[in-house]
Amino acid sequence: MNYGMVLRVIGNLIVFEAFSMVTALAVAFYYKSSDIYAFVNTIMIMLVVGYPLSKLKVKNKDMKHKEAISIVTFGWFVVSAFGALPFMFTGALPSFTDAFFETVSGLTTTGASVLTDIEILPRGLLFWRSFLHWTGGMGILVLTLAIMPTIGVGAFQIFKAETPGPVADKIVPKMKDTARILYTVYLGITVIEVVLLMVGGMSLYDALVNTFGTVGTGGFSNYNASIGHYQNHYFYFVIGFFMVASGVNFSLYYELYRGRVKTIFSNLEFKVYIGIVIAATLLVFFNILGRYESIPATLNQAFFQVSSIITTTGYATTDFDLWPDFSKGILFLLMFVGASAGSTGGSIKVIRLIILFKLVKREVLKILHPRATIPVQINGKMLNTDVISGVTGFFFLYMLLFVGGTLLVSLENVGLVSAASAVAATLGNIGPGLDFVGPTKNYSLFSDATKWLLSFMMLFGRLELFTFFIVMTPSYWKKV
Amino acid sequence: MNIIIVGAGKLGYSLADMFAIKDNNVTVIDNDSEALQRASAHIDMMAVHANGLNIDVLEQINIAITDVLIAVTEGDETNMLISLIAKRLGCKRVVARIRNPEYSSQLDFLKQTLGIDYIANPDLETAKEITKQLLTNEAIYMDDFAGGKVAMSEFTVATTSYLTGKCIKNINLPKRILIVSIKRNEEMLIPKGDTMLLAGDQLYLIGVKEELHNFAMMYNDHLIKPERKKIKRVMILGGGKTAYYLAKRLLQSGIQVKIVERNKERCKELALALHDALVIHGDATDVAILVEENVGNMDAVVMVTGFDEENILLTLIAKKYKVPKVITKVSRSNYVSVFHELGIDAAVNPILLMASHIMRHVQGGKIRSLSLLLGGQAEVMEIIALEGTKIVGKPLRTIDLPEGIIIGAVVKSGKVLIPDGSMVIEPHNRIIVFCLRDDVDKVDQIFYKGKRGLLNELRYGIEGHR
Repeated sequence: MNYGMVLRVIGNLIVFEAFSMVTALAVAFYYKSSDIYAFVNTIMIMLVVGYPLSKLKVKNKDMKHKEAISIVTFGWFVVSAFGALPFMFTGALPSFTDAFFETVSGLTTTGASVLTDIEILPRGLLFWRSFLHWTGGMGILVLTLAIMPTIGVGAFQIFKAETPGPVADKIVPKMKDTARILYTVYLGITVIEVVLLMVGGMSLYDALVNTFGTVGTGGFSNYNASIGHYQNHYFYFVIGFFMVASGVNFSLYYELYRGRVKTIFSNLEFKVYIGIVIAATLLVFFNILGRYESIPATLNQAFFQVSSIITTTGYATTDFDLWPDFSKGILFLLMFVGASAGSTGGSIKVIRLIILFKLVKREVLKILHPRATIPVQINGKMLNTDVISGVTGFFFLYMLLFVGGTLLVSLENVGLVSAASAVAATLGNIGPGLDFVGPTKNYSLFSDATKWLLSFMMLFGRLELFTFFIVMTPSYWKKV
Repeated sequence: MNIIIVGAGKLGYSLADMFAIKDNNVTVIDNDSEALQRASAHIDMMAVHANGLNIDVLEQINIAITDVLIAVTEGDETNMLISLIAKRLGCKRVVARIRNPEYSSQLDFLKQTLGIDYIANPDLETAKEITKQLLTNEAIYMDDFAGGKVAMSEFTVATTSYLTGKCIKNINLPKRILIVSIKRNEEMLIPKGDTMLLAGDQLYLIGVKEELHNFAMMYNDHLIKPERKKIKRVMILGGGKTAYYLAKRLLQSGIQVKIVERNKERCKELALALHDALVIHGDATDVAILVEENVGNMDAVVMVTGFDEENILLTLIAKKYKVPKVITKVSRSNYVSVFHELGIDAAVNPILLMASHIMRHVQGGKIRSLSLLLGGQAEVMEIIALEGTKIVGKPLRTIDLPEGIIIGAVVKSGKVLIPDGSMVIEPHNRIIVFCLRDDVDKVDQIFYKGKRGLLNELRYGIEGHR
């Protein structure tokens, strides 16, 4: 393996993180909050470590699959570790385990927290926590690709390894341009949401924090009661809408820009995704009818919670843990659906479920008509067997991790519902689960070992299982 | 520039690789997803898994604003049809690969009626290149550069010459000629001002074509032009399309041609099409047949079977029988690196050759030397200076060129100049670069890559890197 190249790219990544932390530092300066030195120190440390690495002389710049996977996996790990430092330096989370958990949760856009009281934290730190969502949402490495294309040809390998979904495709021929288009879309959505929230009367700081959490489908808020703090249905709807919008494949926005509206509405994943959101909202709505002051309010609550879970954001406007079992069941199932491929959302993703359904349908037809030829096709294109076996493998591994994780977390004696939903919510990058880890509670009750386990679950989920899993297999470390 | 390549075979791959530098947007269409994956893993391009004849697909990838479409699929007819469709859909220029010799007489008609701008025929180009290498035996023996203005030439210093023992700076060279290299005891030297010439040194000169001629006349007694035996008998091993084109050309020049081909039917076809050639039915790898057909008496042997490995092996056999000139067709560029070890000195790569020709047609960009020059020890290439590269905008003496890379000539607005330290190369100048084998890799860095560092990368963007 070309270690030099891997270290160099990771060095660049650390320098970038240092730069991105300057924004948080600026916020801390503006509010003269107590966390200025925590940021200054962290930035210094990151520059001291990252800069020499990024200038490392490498003999050959070859990047193959293995290098790309190593960069993505270790890159995320290293960036999380450095990102955790401000939490430790400010004393908000003195233990590294907690700080790491919180940072991973931010970067992987999970939104699961171990902080018991958010509102007492300095504003710079809260900003940083949410900013992690924003940088992690589209992929820290894709961001690096967009602004600094040192990586050349290996870039596509990295892009493939970091982008959610079974098949990653470029939108335009140049990798650099593809990354830039994706980030332009991302930035565009961000700006529109901030403006809309401010129109409704939210302060710029709150609007930014909530927007980062929304478009990154993360879910960190600066209030203990999450979005429910505002008690404002306009905010609920705007944020709900943008959560759904961030769960759409970003390449469709490029189609929109090119005026191909037809392509968007004939996109199978988009149709199914919107269909699931509508169906789940209606089911929950009828189930919780009468719990809120008016029918529109009830509908809004149902919509918000559904879109929050399906897009794996994890915001809450109400304690859905108090809802009837049927509604909780729907939300729990939505944790396994996730958003569209190529969006910022996590979990299994709609497209994979569609492919799995088509596979089941094919099996049934095959039993009835053994000689039938039934290609599995999406948007009129036949999927090749590699993609299909990749999807089935992904699903199995996802379930394996879910079951295995649940078993381990159940050692904590918090009840099976809490254990299962904690694993589902971290593996799917959602955030809050049910019962002990419900929307009004947090993950601080778990032991350190469980926190590490769940941190890994989040990384597993964000990097689409295999990228992260490969590094843990013996064959990765063999020199073949 | 927006470029669409239909067909991700060997030629399609090479083209994509060559074009994907700088700001070119390359899209490759193919039906074979494996071929596409191979390409997109190594080249910064977009892969589209579809049929290139599908109008919807072409419109999806913006055919109307495409600068060039290059159709290099398996079938000639498919390529023609794709070109026709692309042109009608608004593509500015189309290039089609058409290989079948039966079409060769009607190419002009096809070009006009179908609106194809350039027809690529790798077999024909390979045959032309081999012919050139076989037949040119004047002093100025190499490719002409910059559209014939600049040439390269080789002389040996005669023992009796007063040049012997002289330093280069004391030789009265015409203004627009440069000694780029000296071959002494089978080794290439890069000359400096105080390098002394010895008897038997082989000099390589680059310069304006007429002045080179005059120079040769002037120093007639002191320089020996390379001796080349006039070629009268050529044996061609393998009887494919290249062999057909080659034999036809050689026969026209009055050379005796012997073709060895293993397929009986193909032998009959060849014998019918080429009256004067002697077509032998037999397996070329069978050494007995080669001996029987007097391989040792040939002036030249050309290997053009369909298999690189076979061609390379046959070259070694021909060398053993002391054939003076052996030319090999090798399609895989990664074999080139071992040629030197094997003692192969003349090879033609039809894929690279064709790709270079297409490239030259499309943007006049880098032209890699088409064959291995000077016994594989050096290459000469023609490069168009690009904006934002190291080489542009500064006096040459401030540019840190590796020792083995020499700028032989620069063509500025039609005028050939021999560079000195104070010369400043501007964008779009043509540069003739002479380069030793060990430094070939650095050429890309100097002539294509921008400077390192964050700011420069931001400014110039991604660099094609291989």
